[in-house]
Amino acid sequence: MTNFAQLFFDAASLGGLYAMAALGIALIFGVMNLVNFAHGEYIAFCVFALIVPSTDAVAVMFLGRAPAVLLVPLILVIGGMIAVASEYAVFRHLRNADPVAMMISSFALGFVIRNVLLATYGGRPKAISLWPELNTPVQIAGASVPLLQVIVILTTLLVVAALAFLLKKTRLGLEMRAAAENFTMARLLGVRANVVITGAFALSGALAAAVALIMATQTGVADVRMGGQIMLVAFIATVIGGLGSLPGAVAAGFLIGGVSVLLQAFLPLEARPFRDAFLYTLVIACLLLRPQGLFVPASAKPRV
Amino acid sequence: MSKLGIFDLSVRYGKVPAINDLSLQVEEGERVFISGPNGAGKSSLLNAISGAVPTSHGRIELDGDMLTGRAPEAIARLGLSMVPEGREIFGSLTVEENLRVGTGLRRDAEAVDSDMEDVFEAFPILRERRSAAAGALSGGQQQMLAIGRALMTNPKLMMVDEPSLGLAPKIVDQVYETLCQLQEERSLTLIIVEQSSLRAARVGGRMILMRGGSVVGEGNAADMVDRDALAQAYFGNPKCKEVNS
Repeated sequence: MTNFAQLFFDAASLGGLYAMAALGIALIFGVMNLVNFAHGEYIAFCVFALIVPSTDAVAVMFLGRAPAVLLVPLILVIGGMIAVASEYAVFRHLRNADPVAMMISSFALGFVIRNVLLATYGGRPKAISLWPELNTPVQIAGASVPLLQVIVILTTLLVVAALAFLLKKTRLGLEMRAAAENFTMARLLGVRANVVITGAFALSGALAAAVALIMATQTGVADVRMGGQIMLVAFIATVIGGLGSLPGAVAAGFLIGGVSVLLQAFLPLEARPFRDAFLYTLVIACLLLRPQGLFVPASAKPRV
Repeated sequence: MSKLGIFDLSVRYGKVPAINDLSLQVEEGERVFISGPNGAGKSSLLNAISGAVPTSHGRIELDGDMLTGRAPEAIARLGLSMVPEGREIFGSLTVEENLRVGTGLRRDAEAVDSDMEDVFEAFPILRERRSAAAGALSGGQQQMLAIGRALMTNPKLMMVDEPSLGLAPKIVDQVYETLCQLQEERSLTLIIVEQSSLRAARVGGRMILMRGGSVVGEGNAADMVDRDALAQAYFGNPKCKEVNS
């Protein structure tokens, strides 16, 4: 039986996950016009950081054994570090390169990270149990909701609020927004390119880590391929939201999450296995009708 | 002592030369107009000085500091500020945020607020619209914002690229009046790209005439405009007004 409260929690938690992944991509695109396809691999990397490096079939918790108060900040820092490290190693040398060249090198970087994970941990998905107690359902408004879903929704709201605060109220945020709109002009006004870009990568990596923690808890699996799937959805969300628009990325993330939950619930049973085909048809329709993205504010348009 | 020194500067876009072996000195507190036809290299010169485009030859110095080869943000830190062609304001930021972007490089944080007051005093409309998105301002207001934004970095040298572009003459008058007043108050050095030699003559200062990436004439703006009128009388085409010997 379809329960609306249940649907709401499903949609909001899935959407929240997509929104956070999309934010990670939109942040980097905003400051350096790079669609970072390695973002999914940052997520996988953070999941695997939870377990002991070995190719055994059974995962042994490593960092994952730490108490949550330690583990959460630790994984966020690890996510930030891998992102910043990849900027130093790869993207810094391509600052003035063609956006296509940067995008392709992000694919290459993704392959490198994925293969390092494959070599270290083996290709088999491993069962991991991170905070299993979070999957016990609680009763809210007549719906039986896993505690994790509530946490995901709250986390997303917290992350979005924290990011909004950082972007609107801090010096770094002001410089990042200025740089996202017109990097050369920002630099002419003394905004340090390296600080802004490193900051964006660190934030993006931390967002990837937050997504990783949620996915690991939710699915209970560490899989080298897990980053690729969410990366695809997140990328689509950033495109639909209007590339580089952070509010757009969040809104589109929630929209895609919501639509896919609704399709899952209301499509005829026979059509349900093809849910994603319906979802992506809607995406195509979206892009045909509004190629610039759904949520591009009027004030962002250039004025002559 | 010369404030800004440019020596044998060349700028190329790929193989296309934009500036050829140009040398130029600008004294402290001076007001210099750069005029010339489209493609003369005026904007390229400003962009090369500010570090927005790389130089292929020669050097640029500001108060003995080498600017050539430095990043734009490092040059801005040496006291150079730019109001670029087309204004390039941050449309999605508010007016006040636009003014604050360039204050990160300053070490005198306590003076920022009083400078903001000065800008609001000079352009009261900006105070009125301080919380509005800058993209919603009119062209003239955006030009004022771009000038205010450049001033907020507390520069020693300010370069303004075509402040009159696309503005009503009345607004241009106001913009120039404010620029000159600010220059006096802050002992700024001003370099202004201005197509209209008449306007330059009225405002007063030294005028540099560029063509094909080189300096082809130089003198007091008021003297130059007479020659300009002469050229116009001979050739009758206002588009050729920069052609003079």
